[in-house]
Amino acid sequence: MAKHQTPLLDQLESGPWPSFVSDLKQQAEKRAKNAEGLDFQVPVDVVDDLMGLLELSFKQGRTHWKHGGIVGVFGYGGGVIGRYCDQPQMFPGVAHFHTMRVAQPGGKFYTTEFLRQLCDIWDLRGSGITNMHGSTGDIVLLGTTTPQLEEIFFELTHNMNQDLGGSGSNLRTPSDCIGQARCEYACYDTQDLCYDLTQEYQDELHRPAFPYKFKFKFDGCPNCCVASIARSDMSFIGTWKDDIKIDQKAVQAYIGGELAPNAGAHSGKNWGKFDIQKEVIERCPTECMVMDGKTLKINNRECTRCMHCINVMPRALRIGDERGLSIFAGAKAPILDGAQMGTLIVPFIEAEAPYTKIKETVIEPIWDWWMEEGKNRERLGELMKRQGLQKVIEVLGVDPDPRMVQEPRHNPYIFWKEEEVEGGFQRDINEFRKHHLR
Amino acid sequence: MAFISSGYNPEKPMENRITDIGPRKYDEFYPPVIAANKGKWLYHEILQPGVLVHVAESGDEVYTVRCGGARIMSTTHIREICEIADKHCGGHVRWTTRNNIEFMVDNKSKLQPLLDDLAGRKFAGGSFKFPVGGTGAGVSNIVHTQGWIHCHTPATDASGPVKAVMDEVFADFQNHRMPAPVRVSLACCLNMCGAVHCSDIAILGYHRKPPMLDHEYLDKMCEIPLAIAACPTAAIKPAKVEINGQKLNSVAVNADRCMFCGNCYTMCPSMPLADTEGDGIVIMAGGKVSNRISAPKFSKVVVAFIPNEAPRWPKTSQVIKNMIEVYANDARKYERLGEWAERIGWERFFEKCELDFTHHLIDDFRDPAYYTWRQTTQFKF
Amino acid sequence: MEYEEAKAKIIEELTKKLKSKSKFYFNDLANIIGAKPRDAKKIVNKMVEEGALEYWSSGSTSMYGMPGTGKQAHSEGED
Repeated sequence: MAKHQTPLLDQLESGPWPSFVSDLKQQAEKRAKNAEGLDFQVPVDVVDDLMGLLELSFKQGRTHWKHGGIVGVFGYGGGVIGRYCDQPQMFPGVAHFHTMRVAQPGGKFYTTEFLRQLCDIWDLRGSGITNMHGSTGDIVLLGTTTPQLEEIFFELTHNMNQDLGGSGSNLRTPSDCIGQARCEYACYDTQDLCYDLTQEYQDELHRPAFPYKFKFKFDGCPNCCVASIARSDMSFIGTWKDDIKIDQKAVQAYIGGELAPNAGAHSGKNWGKFDIQKEVIERCPTECMVMDGKTLKINNRECTRCMHCINVMPRALRIGDERGLSIFAGAKAPILDGAQMGTLIVPFIEAEAPYTKIKETVIEPIWDWWMEEGKNRERLGELMKRQGLQKVIEVLGVDPDPRMVQEPRHNPYIFWKEEEVEGGFQRDINEFRKHHLR
Repeated sequence: MAFISSGYNPEKPMENRITDIGPRKYDEFYPPVIAANKGKWLYHEILQPGVLVHVAESGDEVYTVRCGGARIMSTTHIREICEIADKHCGGHVRWTTRNNIEFMVDNKSKLQPLLDDLAGRKFAGGSFKFPVGGTGAGVSNIVHTQGWIHCHTPATDASGPVKAVMDEVFADFQNHRMPAPVRVSLACCLNMCGAVHCSDIAILGYHRKPPMLDHEYLDKMCEIPLAIAACPTAAIKPAKVEINGQKLNSVAVNADRCMFCGNCYTMCPSMPLADTEGDGIVIMAGGKVSNRISAPKFSKVVVAFIPNEAPRWPKTSQVIKNMIEVYANDARKYERLGEWAERIGWERFFEKCELDFTHHLIDDFRDPAYYTWRQTTQFKF
Repeated sequence: MEYEEAKAKIIEELTKKLKSKSKFYFNDLANIIGAKPRDAKKIVNKMVEEGALEYWSSGSTSMYGMPGTGKQAHSEGED
């Protein structure tokens, strides 16, 4: 018998999509039965009370959570989000219900051994409810009490060799796409760069000293499956400089209909016979492709690597071999001055371990600048807007590059610096007056 | 309950403390076929919605079955995933960025038994535990935030609307009839932990009332300078108020400047802003993050407000379903929703989707607003 | 600046301001001791480790304060 009646939530049990309500219910039942005889370290009916509280929110259309300032375990400034419910008498099981962020492995690959160990800790010391995964990428453990935080951290680090993720004004847990692990488009090893930087910058991840949050995300190619260009302060997107490799036989196989375009992604509708002219060549944003008889030709120098032709004909076209990545800076969600997309600050850089050049010539100078100049709660993108792209170029010590802009400036208000103008700003008015009467 | 110690000694927190170790290294968790062929994949094919094969230079193949998952997941459910992964996949499994679960097998003969096993698993309430889909030109799983289940500033729930919308568009999670992928996402307030601002369709929780002020308790519960500093638009000022004949320190909110973000409530529990009628959903559309054909785009607001209609958010689901249907029938192959809207023109988009264009949809926030107004004679009647 | 001197200065300043607020941004602390962020970080980290400072987080932003101070800590029963 359920502890609370949940007639509204119950209506989310029907329908085909996996029902989180059904899942919460099976978890509540499992805890109530406690077949394994666990000495639960948080209330046994925590999930019942979570559902009861959620039902109340569904009924009233309002949240019942309060924020708490608790941040983490001793010495860490992030990894835990404090939560208290505003109806603790009605729902004592969730009176204290903190979140822990656990750093996810690259590509979100797991062994069942690891997942079970994590479940064991979380069944004993928390609600047993998780997010797989949070928006930033962490494994999110949803709901435990303050005394359990250190215990969970101790078991994670000692028994699982596993650390917490970031929150607050920290480097947030970096996240990556599946990359070379299982994708032929990946131009660099996203998981290795992600892991390397995560390890290198553990101090930045756990001990907040930034003006605000800072996110790294790693996309292996311009398809941007982890959306790095939209939601990371520093976005690393794989690219290449040389020629797209063409298998002319496979091109003919697409034309002939033996191979399904776009790897079968459009199989649900009859779009007619594949037409390379209409679907690939005319769709190319730079018009750099042409069929010359039976040969597909690409003017690679004009290609902007949008991936469309490769996506449509993955067995005929492959990314080039001179690979690396582009770096974009300053993406963020709208608050305050509107959403920002990442701006190109490094058109091309090699991505080979140990990634010294990326760290020493890009990440660290940008951080130094932002830490010194950034106002409280100012994201990197906002600082860039406030001080200008010129300043970024100066910080990086690179030459201006037309690739960094969509187009040149619209106004001529160039704030010339004194040293840029011959003779400087100091002039002799008396000398001037010899030739120009008052 | 007896407290069970992990071995941690609160008197000496630094004793035996392990810190700064980060996540486990990615390659500890690779299935053998992934470890053997990393960086040497030749091509992939989607055999049916939700089922992919990747072929390596070595000739090795890996078959992936992608299953939709609710982001909220119990350990009971994770243990069931482990059981499946042990049975079929040598104890390996992964998640995608969009909350899908991927089971991988290294031989075609193992594929059908896996699919059969997954198809038979349902929750007690009748929903699928592991619906296969989410690939190619279909509607992918909705990425989302916490909502009412765990957040203190949401203007809507997250898991609830997501379940309601996914039920509504479920057929297209398992089909490839769209012109291009349709990525839907949800953020439960405008702080956008979920960064939904570049999605084909974004569901955004939005408050419409400034915070209430619990004057009697405000100065006792909160540090006024912190509440003031929390406001991104500088709408909060210190104020003296008189309650029951007592002069109290408190704050005043300039309602005209309030953007309803809830940051003050984070710092000060005496400034709650959740409201049954005030809170609801904004629908945005036409964003994308891929660089394919056209540059990444921001989503645009296409419906200014829909009330929260728990438990199934019928109006929200219907607006989204309709928009997807119109797009599916009208857009050209490979055209993302935003590219389609730009080609036909937004005036035509509103007409075709039968959406009202209200003054709320005209940007009036600072400089970027101007760049969204029309400065050409080219428009459609 | 030597660690002990910096620590004393930070505690003095924070105590002075305690009447109006108990939580401070990292930059506020760096300004008190007039140090560059990276140098200030070493001092602040050490103070946290010694228990002279503790973190506070809004989830998105982090702040620092002296342990046991502040009104919210009290209301949450965490002090």
